[in-house]
Amino acid sequence: MSSKIVVKVILVSIALGAAAFALAVRANASHMEAEITTEGPAALQVRLRSADQGLPIANIAVTLSADESFGGVTGRVELGQTSTDQNGVATVRVHPLSAGDHEVRIEYVAPGETEPEVATAFVTMPGITSQLYSSSAGVQIPGVNVSLLIALVATVWAVLLSVALRVIVIARAGTDAGAPTSQAGATGGR
Amino acid sequence: MEALGDQRSRRQAAGPLAAAEPRAGWLARLEQTAFAPITGTSRWYYLWVAFLLLVIAWGVYAYSHQLRDGLIVTGMRDRISWGLYITTFVFFIGISHAGTLISAILRVSQARWRTPITRMAEFITVVALFSGAIFVIIDLGRPDRVLNIIRYGRWQSPIIWDVLAITTYLTASIAYLFLPMIPDLALFRDRLAGRVAPWRIWLYDLLSVRWRGTGAQWRSMGTAITIAMILIIPIAVSVHTVVSWIFAMTLREPWNSTIFGAFFVAGAIFSGIATLIIVMAILRKVYHLEEYVTEKHFVYLGYMLAAFALIMIYGNVSEYVTTGYKLEEGAEFHFRQLFLEQFAGFYWFYFIGGLVVPGLLMLFPRTRNIWGVVAAALLVDVAMWIERYFIVVTGFRVPLMPYEPSTYAPTWVEFSIVTAGFALFALLITLFVKVFPIIAVWEVAEDQESIEVAPAGRPLAPGATLEPAEGG
Repeated sequence: MSSKIVVKVILVSIALGAAAFALAVRANASHMEAEITTEGPAALQVRLRSADQGLPIANIAVTLSADESFGGVTGRVELGQTSTDQNGVATVRVHPLSAGDHEVRIEYVAPGETEPEVATAFVTMPGITSQLYSSSAGVQIPGVNVSLLIALVATVWAVLLSVALRVIVIARAGTDAGAPTSQAGATGGR
Repeated sequence: MEALGDQRSRRQAAGPLAAAEPRAGWLARLEQTAFAPITGTSRWYYLWVAFLLLVIAWGVYAYSHQLRDGLIVTGMRDRISWGLYITTFVFFIGISHAGTLISAILRVSQARWRTPITRMAEFITVVALFSGAIFVIIDLGRPDRVLNIIRYGRWQSPIIWDVLAITTYLTASIAYLFLPMIPDLALFRDRLAGRVAPWRIWLYDLLSVRWRGTGAQWRSMGTAITIAMILIIPIAVSVHTVVSWIFAMTLREPWNSTIFGAFFVAGAIFSGIATLIIVMAILRKVYHLEEYVTEKHFVYLGYMLAAFALIMIYGNVSEYVTTGYKLEEGAEFHFRQLFLEQFAGFYWFYFIGGLVVPGLLMLFPRTRNIWGVVAAALLVDVAMWIERYFIVVTGFRVPLMPYEPSTYAPTWVEFSIVTAGFALFALLITLFVKVFPIIAVWEVAEDQESIEVAPAGRPLAPGATLEPAEGG
């Protein structure tokens, strides 16, 4: 009798362990199976399949969210929203998340259903060493760019250099004039 | 506009002065007035320097706390991350416009009355820029990271524009201070030999760049000053415009303004004039410059102060009426904190005490004198520092997300360092006056000569007064 209980406990443990492992990369809802992977530090890829046959589910709106903290406020942050393609794949560009593990909530409405299904999955965001975000100029005006700024600054410094050269000219003129006299100052020599 | 070298050549062609003897006496008195701060030092001078050094030492002690423990020792936190340091930085950059306006603009417009005060104005510019730049490094918390601006800076960032503008302005200001000082340094080199310490003579000899007063040297110096005075005006305008853009290009409700650049430049010149008036009054009293820095100079600068007070009032009305009429959510919060709640005392002191009252002091003849102008200048400087304070802090205080507005209370570390910054400003001016010519001797002499000699080279009629010309 006791050996049966031990076997049951082992089987349950194995089942729970397998479920926990599956949750790490894959989330199952009632009708569909959602799999999430990272596509670089600023994108997540969700793959939806039917739970029974494993066929891709196309044209399903997917919303990703996660619990995050920012500025002392913790709350659910929507990471992004998109639809699956013919292969059941939806790639969501998200605002960069900190490196490490994140529990991502995947929300979608399965075909034929009215209520959204929710699955959760853990993703590990890689650490980054490069700049993730750079704004694109909204209006490109020809000639108005960084080169113009550099040219302007260079011109100003060139003029300043010409002033410095004048000081050298003054010094040379003084050398040519010979030794100083007591009348060389501001109010002298007039 | 004419080059100074041309002025000199024309003056040399004007012929000998008729009243040579009175002029010689006047020149000797002018030189003695210029030499006096260098040749004589009173006990009060040492006490004053010791006091300033003590204040600076206390500030260094406070800064050592900040270096050791980090910016946590200040009142700044993640939501209000700028405070007294950036306020004081903007203030100092503002008063650095004193030299630009008084010297460059008045020189360009040939306002002759400027000559006795240009040197003070130009030096305030250099000292204020130096003092202001220090506060940016102090605000960094980690001064070793200042090089990151160069290593990782992006041309698209207003921070980089600011660094470029301020370094260019500092360089141009030093050049503009130095160039007109060359003949005076040569005068000191020649006349003070044997009367002062050898290191001073060595310094004057070095900095006077072998000045002999030849025609070629006058022409070169005139050209250089002409170039510098034209160049420095747009540079100065760009500096405070870019300082304003650090705020205006950040997504904060109170800083969403298209007139911030013009508003900051006007405010900078406003506080620059006020600082010049205060420094003028102190130096005039301490070094007995009454003959050269007269009530007329104070009143003329007072008129400028009043004019800029009107510009500032207009800027305030224009800014707040347009944003207040639309009154978006963030603007409503900002208006409440600025006009009715936490910062109302600061704002109304600034507006009434710093803009309206100085204008009134210049309006009434009874207060249109040295004391009235100095009182107005003191009010303006205090008010303009406060204005920078509430611009900085209220901008951060408006919440960007639905959280409770934060508060900012400066700590003793911040007060100590800011006080030390002002002490450093005063110390640098004090030391400058003890080493370099306090007034532009050759310019004052040339100005006086141009009055004594009629335009056609005729001497003035007997009994004619020697009042400085009304220029500009």
